[in-house]
Amino acid sequence: MTAIVGYLGLAYGLISAAFLVVRGVRGMLRPTVSTPKKLKGPVLGLLGGATVAMLALEVGLLTDDFSINYVANHSASTTPLLYKVASAWGALEGSIVLWGLVLAIFTFTVYRGHAARDDSDPLGAGALAVMGLVSMYFFGLMLSFSNPFSVCVEPSTVGCLEAANLPWAGSLAALEGRGPNPLLQNHPLMALHPPTLYIGYVGLTVPFSFAMAALLLGSSGAEWLRRTRSWTLVAWMFLTLGIVFGGLWSYEVLGWGGFWAWDPVENASLLPWLVATAFLHSSVVQARRGMLQAWNFVLVIAAFAMTILGTFLTRSGVIASVHSFTQSPVGPALLWFLMVVLVGSFGLFAARVHVVASSPRLDSMMSREGVFLANNLLLTVFAFVVLTGTLYPMVVEAFTGDQVGVGRPFFDRMAIPLSLALLIAMSLGPIFPYRAAKPSIVWERIRRPLQIVLVTAAVVVLLGQRNFYVVIGTLITTFVVSVIGRHLLTSARKLADQRGLSMWAATRRVMSSDPGYWGGQIAHFGVAVLALGMALTANLVVDATVTLSPGETVTVAGRDLTYVDHFTRQESNRSVTGARIEVGREGRVVAVLEPRLNQYPTSSQPVATPAVDASWVGDLYLSLKGFDEQQVSMRVFWFPFIWLVWVGGLVTAFAVLWSRLVRKPETEPIGARQAR
Amino acid sequence: MVALVGVIAVGLLIGDPTPEDRVQAIGERIKCPVCQGESIATSPSDTAQAMMDVVAEKVGLGESDEQIIAYFQASYGTGILLDPPFSGKTLLVWLLPVPALGGGIWMMLARRRVSATVGGRP
Repeated sequence: MTAIVGYLGLAYGLISAAFLVVRGVRGMLRPTVSTPKKLKGPVLGLLGGATVAMLALEVGLLTDDFSINYVANHSASTTPLLYKVASAWGALEGSIVLWGLVLAIFTFTVYRGHAARDDSDPLGAGALAVMGLVSMYFFGLMLSFSNPFSVCVEPSTVGCLEAANLPWAGSLAALEGRGPNPLLQNHPLMALHPPTLYIGYVGLTVPFSFAMAALLLGSSGAEWLRRTRSWTLVAWMFLTLGIVFGGLWSYEVLGWGGFWAWDPVENASLLPWLVATAFLHSSVVQARRGMLQAWNFVLVIAAFAMTILGTFLTRSGVIASVHSFTQSPVGPALLWFLMVVLVGSFGLFAARVHVVASSPRLDSMMSREGVFLANNLLLTVFAFVVLTGTLYPMVVEAFTGDQVGVGRPFFDRMAIPLSLALLIAMSLGPIFPYRAAKPSIVWERIRRPLQIVLVTAAVVVLLGQRNFYVVIGTLITTFVVSVIGRHLLTSARKLADQRGLSMWAATRRVMSSDPGYWGGQIAHFGVAVLALGMALTANLVVDATVTLSPGETVTVAGRDLTYVDHFTRQESNRSVTGARIEVGREGRVVAVLEPRLNQYPTSSQPVATPAVDASWVGDLYLSLKGFDEQQVSMRVFWFPFIWLVWVGGLVTAFAVLWSRLVRKPETEPIGARQAR
Repeated sequence: MVALVGVIAVGLLIGDPTPEDRVQAIGERIKCPVCQGESIATSPSDTAQAMMDVVAEKVGLGESDEQIIAYFQASYGTGILLDPPFSGKTLLVWLLPVPALGGGIWMMLARRRVSATVGGRP
């Protein structure tokens, strides 16, 4: 019954999406005052259908309805509540229900904006039509190749062996479900990471749709860009957050001690992020100077295409990775859609670009516009390198049948120089004047920061630090932070003197006067902190594999680890064995850590859950390898200052809030365009 | 300021990798054949540990990094390498970014020389 309701919800969503396309196109080509009214029904129908489908799936999961194939194969009665709810997006078919719901919600918000306007708004109607087309694809996919509501016709004692696509076929319930993938029930972040990432991915559909409508209408780039800025920023924020959560989840769950492995699915989330970041920056130039219009069309199409590619890579199983759960016919379907998107949108762009994108030329490369352009190039090349590296083994195997490996060493070697160049551009761009930068002005803005950098460098080297990347990372972060700080404090000092304010009030005034610019500076600060954290943890890590008998102590990174005893306990969905380790410093016990192995009934390999003792100076990280009679064997890591990575990432994401929530006073922006 | 630069330069020039560093670095270039894309340096599986022991033994015997990599490539095939060799089928993955970057830079600088504006309003 639940499956039928859910399936009908999807069908209703598909039909509503079709109506949205037809009426949206009509509203775009023949705009009238009553267009918004005509679009209201389809939009609400889409939202309603998507909501019903999501609710039906959750009801199925929470009531242990094992007649539904998805529930039988991805959940179990013993699964804890939070993970039952999260199982909705734990596997392919369910995750597309989530995608459909997020898309429907974004479509609704775009509709609200469109309906609130006084004019007939053909651009908004066209954008809604494009969003309807995308929805038609995803809902169509769910009704055919990727059906979350297929019902079980051949159950097994655990799970379902064969399913029928249409839910009103006679169904038989399995006795028990297989439960979620063991890796997905180990940490609450499982509930947060996919929805956050999906909001980011799907959000990029909005600027893409407006860009397509603008191309179809032959209207210039300025309006669609301006109208979609908020959505782009929100999507980028969630994309950033989703990636940070993914890294944190990997660190806390996978036990190998890292947060980024250049895994193909990780890359699939990085690709849209890189392109979206380029788009975000490039739009600023168009807004201020009317330039880079063609770039912005290309970037937004590429960003959207990357989200589809990302879904394809993650869900089709074409590249073996930690994330790939199943092989399924959805792969070719997604690939086909990606081709259509690429050919259709780039074709439309090529046909119309001369009409919609006439940009004035750059006056000089030595200007803020020039740095933005270089930034576009660096981010695009970065994305190109990640894309090539990720797809290369697959392409080689398809053409020659040979296996080749492209892994971490390749990506690191490419990413590090590109990242250093990007960090330098990030530090200089915001203080370069527009049009033409006079060297004396730039020098004035970087002189003091450079002095600070040199002093820091000397200190670092004298402290005995020899590692090249640690030194460079520290210096670049210092430079970025000093440039931002100097700029802020100088502007604040001027304002304080002029208006008799305190420095604190003046600083707040300065940052509120141009929330977009200073939000960007906060994000840059976050990126610098993140970069420093990465440099320190990657290069100063202490790593040891130890084997201990009960009562034995070993010292790693200045901490004494004593193996006390081992324990076993049974939980509802798994059996847990672990070791109790006492951590001592200077004779006192400061922590007791319990690294564990979780054994799930449906899996042969246990999942190691690390135990982490986090502090301001670093994380002590223990990961169990196994027990050998009385002895325990584990890996011990010391990650200095790793909190910089999480804090840096979070600051970068939440910087968007500053630019959106702070109200601008009615005065001239301070600091962004000053000559001094 | 020059003195500071001097201190920094001298400080950075001193420093050698230890044998453990070498084992770790080589291990990060070899894929664990039974894992999902992890290197033998990071994987906790027994296979990976055994392979790391082989690397450590060879480093101890004085073999060079490239000799050890070549040994694993011969034993397991090119697919075992996470660091794609700069030759053969993987040469292209290293070379592709070059025209991308070069083309991008050329486009950036060339557009400036074109003086006539392309396009206009209909």
